[in-house]
Amino acid sequence: MSHVTHQSVKLHRTLYMQQAVKDAATTFADFAAFTIKRDGDYYAVDIKDIDPDVDGDVVAEFCNFALANTAGRKKTKKA
Amino acid sequence: MGHPQIEKLDPKTHTMTLSLDIGLYPADVLYAAAYVFLDRAYVLLDRAGPRYEVHLRGKGELTEAQLTAMSGEFENELLAQALRRKVVKANQKIIEDITSQAIAGAAGGTLPTDFLAAGDDGMDFLDDPLGIAVPWEDKFKKKKDA
Repeated sequence: MSHVTHQSVKLHRTLYMQQAVKDAATTFADFAAFTIKRDGDYYAVDIKDIDPDVDGDVVAEFCNFALANTAGRKKTKKA
Repeated sequence: MGHPQIEKLDPKTHTMTLSLDIGLYPADVLYAAAYVFLDRAYVLLDRAGPRYEVHLRGKGELTEAQLTAMSGEFENELLAQALRRKVVKANQKIIEDITSQAIAGAAGGTLPTDFLAAGDDGMDFLDDPLGIAVPWEDKFKKKKDA
């Protein structure tokens, strides 16, 4: 089975905070290379060099982290 | 359609897409509900016109029935979070009052330094002007000779 080393994901800018996405990318920097760009209403995240030895879905976990970071940041901002 | 609806459900990939009316669910409610599911599903939020789209993929294998159940749980969580938000908003003043009273109480408690500030009354800790330290037997013993 061939391992996918390159994927991209789009995160809507009204639902994900830029800093939260950046923080998630930093968290997973040891397992892949992340490039974040603005693409209309979205942050287009290009994920390259995904570590084949990682047991789990790096991209999906990255998205979960981006969401958790956004939720945390929004909550802190409100408080 | 107002209530959440399953847009897509695929047991082969353990994925499901829910569509929610933006007007019914504020963003914080959506975040709070999604947060609860992060430990057992991969969650991706999106927007499609006047609706939120919630893409869920189980971290483990899920049957169609389990995916449908997960969708129901997500909807329940949305309602629970919406109610929680409403209750917090309604009781905001009470919560703030209780918290400030608790903080004031903690800050205004008696400290050991307060005793020092009271000043010295010239007494030693062994002095016993009220006779409190005198044993009961000594105080009230019958005189043997009487």
